[in-house]
Amino acid sequence: MKEMWQDYDPDGFFDELMYEKHQPRGFSYRLLDYLTSMDEEAFSQRINESEMEMLERGITFTVYSDAGNIDRAWPFDIIPRAIPKSEWQRTEKGLQQRIRALNQFIDDIYNEGAIVKDGLMPADVVYDSKGYRAYCQGMSPSHGVWANICGSDLVRDDTGKLYVLEDNLRVPSGVSYMLENRKTTKRVFPELFRLLDISPVDAYPEQLSRMLRSLRPDVSNPNMVLLTPGVYNSAYYEHAFLAQQAGLTLLEGADLLVGRDNYVYMKTIHGLERVDVIYRRIDDDFIDPEVFRPDSMLGVPGIMRAWRQGKVAIANAPGCGVADDKVIYAYVPAMIRYYLNEEPILDNVPTWLCREPEQLAHVLEHLPELVVKPANESGGYGMLVGPHASEEKVSEFRQLLKQNPNNYIAQPTLKLSVSPTCCDGGIAPRHVDLRPFILSGEDCYVTPGGLTRVALVEGSLVVNSSQGGGSKDTWIVDDLSFMEGQ
Amino acid sequence: MLSRVGERIFWLARYLERVENTSRLINVHTSLLMDLPQHRDINWYTLVTIFDAKNDYFDRYDRVNEYDIMHFLLADTSYGGSLVNALFSLRENARTSLDILPETLWEQVNELHLMVKGEMSSIGNRRRRQNLLLAITERCLGIWGIIANHMSRNFAYDFLLVGKYIERADMTSRILEMTSILVADKDSEISKQYEGILWGTLLRALSAQQMYIQHNSSTLKADKVLTFLITDTTFPRSLSFAVKALGNYLHYLPRAEAVLSMQETVLNKLQDYKAEEATLAMTHIEMDELQLSLSAINQAIAKNWFYPDYATA
Repeated sequence: MKEMWQDYDPDGFFDELMYEKHQPRGFSYRLLDYLTSMDEEAFSQRINESEMEMLERGITFTVYSDAGNIDRAWPFDIIPRAIPKSEWQRTEKGLQQRIRALNQFIDDIYNEGAIVKDGLMPADVVYDSKGYRAYCQGMSPSHGVWANICGSDLVRDDTGKLYVLEDNLRVPSGVSYMLENRKTTKRVFPELFRLLDISPVDAYPEQLSRMLRSLRPDVSNPNMVLLTPGVYNSAYYEHAFLAQQAGLTLLEGADLLVGRDNYVYMKTIHGLERVDVIYRRIDDDFIDPEVFRPDSMLGVPGIMRAWRQGKVAIANAPGCGVADDKVIYAYVPAMIRYYLNEEPILDNVPTWLCREPEQLAHVLEHLPELVVKPANESGGYGMLVGPHASEEKVSEFRQLLKQNPNNYIAQPTLKLSVSPTCCDGGIAPRHVDLRPFILSGEDCYVTPGGLTRVALVEGSLVVNSSQGGGSKDTWIVDDLSFMEGQ
Repeated sequence: MLSRVGERIFWLARYLERVENTSRLINVHTSLLMDLPQHRDINWYTLVTIFDAKNDYFDRYDRVNEYDIMHFLLADTSYGGSLVNALFSLRENARTSLDILPETLWEQVNELHLMVKGEMSSIGNRRRRQNLLLAITERCLGIWGIIANHMSRNFAYDFLLVGKYIERADMTSRILEMTSILVADKDSEISKQYEGILWGTLLRALSAQQMYIQHNSSTLKADKVLTFLITDTTFPRSLSFAVKALGNYLHYLPRAEAVLSMQETVLNKLQDYKAEEATLAMTHIEMDELQLSLSAINQAIAKNWFYPDYATA
């Protein structure tokens, strides 16, 4: 397969596996050596095996467009992305620090609101945010933790520096694909796991179950469930997978009711059974038609009442989406200093707040070079990627920014790092990001690595699976032994 | 266990059993027709009668021939009783019960679906169709093997087995009903000429030939065959075995008394069956009644466990 790698060239981008053309990094040397020494036919056979494996195991996600709803095989790239353990240990600490600060922030604004009173954040940024739920005022969930499951998106620029791009605190998805990707790689490249010391990822379901249990210290053996919007949700496969792996009862809103005693019950073949912990995978907008959207068919009337009275724990806590806001994101480094009295270990991507007139002026002047994001959208929707946008699109955003500057932030267009990826006719560099998952309850757990998403289209920066992205197995490779040797 | 999950699992098992039995039945019927080409009363249309699908068939097709009937029973997505639709429902119920079923079960169901999807276009070819139906039957048995060997004996298992035995009793009674009609008139030409072949086919359609011979020597007589398939409690595809097993698994479920008493009535009636001259001709009516009783049991199960009135706390 030497020929396939012969022309591989990161071309000025930071490459996860290479210093430059023909120059593997220390920790990826064995991986690349193995791949290049494999003959081309054997390699394409492994690709076929991985595709068959995904198809037969029925690992799919649903796309709601094209011709009706289609279950597509999960797009998986066979070449792993590797990260040295020495770097990861620092990243892990940074993620733990960040989630601690975010949770203290959420707990603060639903209680004293000290950060606003102390003048570090403008009141309207917090209390007018789309994710803010006034109904949650005065609540403090177990251990003061609101965002129990967080999926942060990390990216690198062309110097290789790692940034936090987003904190997904509402209902982050993708962890099941992280687990499935590893399973597939183990089946397709079993030899590699002998050559390298790769951190295992299988602990997640057990950690999830332990975290959820810790939310009800008052109940000795809590009854725990996973609430899904239903079988037609695009992440249903993941909901079922996690429920099965973590031993949760998978159910829908219609399977639950709130009794006159304000406890939550599920409808079973024995009659009604009490539920103590709910891992919800529906947005809080839909969770209780009595409190939030009255048109919601997915939720459970009265469930917020049960939660407020401490009769059921809900993860993530309703209202925690406030910290998922892209404007509030800009204040996270300040939160870390304010609540923890520490310097942030991981940096934000440099961010201009359009609500500040000078910063807005800068943004408008450099609009074609920047990325503009609305405060509260996910999945890559409603944003402008300046360098890739048409003139009309840019002027459309110019208008939007002038009309409603408070709703937007802008960031430089990062030259995202690339990683070798199988493409039609060979191996080529494609842009990647990384989504580690962080569990917080009594303790804090970070997945070793996470889900690497890859933009399969040449030059594209969009990694979302709903928009042509794929994924890779992510390896935390022990490089400490190499370093000591040197 | 959630009521909704119980319902899905119950239907998963019914569809799995239905797919298996349908495949075997069509396969065996095809081989019967090779022995009886051009027969007036036994033909492809007989299958449509077994599935009680006359109206559905003529809503969609004008003529009666092998190609259209095979397409109707196997591949027609507009007919709820077709094999592809049963498979689709099987897969949907498995997909939506991923959390409580063994992972390998879902993988096998999914592979079965992929195989049938790939081969459905070739069912016009008799040889390939026969191979496909054989492969489906085998895979279904493999899935039951996973259930038997990988699942704890919990409520999920009980609902699976309850669904399986209701479906089996229903399918067996339909096949018996049809054959009984064909040989009801003892002096008819079919009875005289082909009785042996017909009963042999019936036994093969239920995978019962070998066990029947071990019980009864090799004579294929109506009274012997019917007594075996209706009253025997040791052969898994006889009606009494299926209904008895149904009772065994209902017994494990909470608050099962009312449903169990219905099941007992049906079992007693089957055990009382006597294959005498006069009753022989009435067998198809008994089978028809059995199907109604099974449907009543199905409704009672739904009322008792899937859609009860929940008294709110």
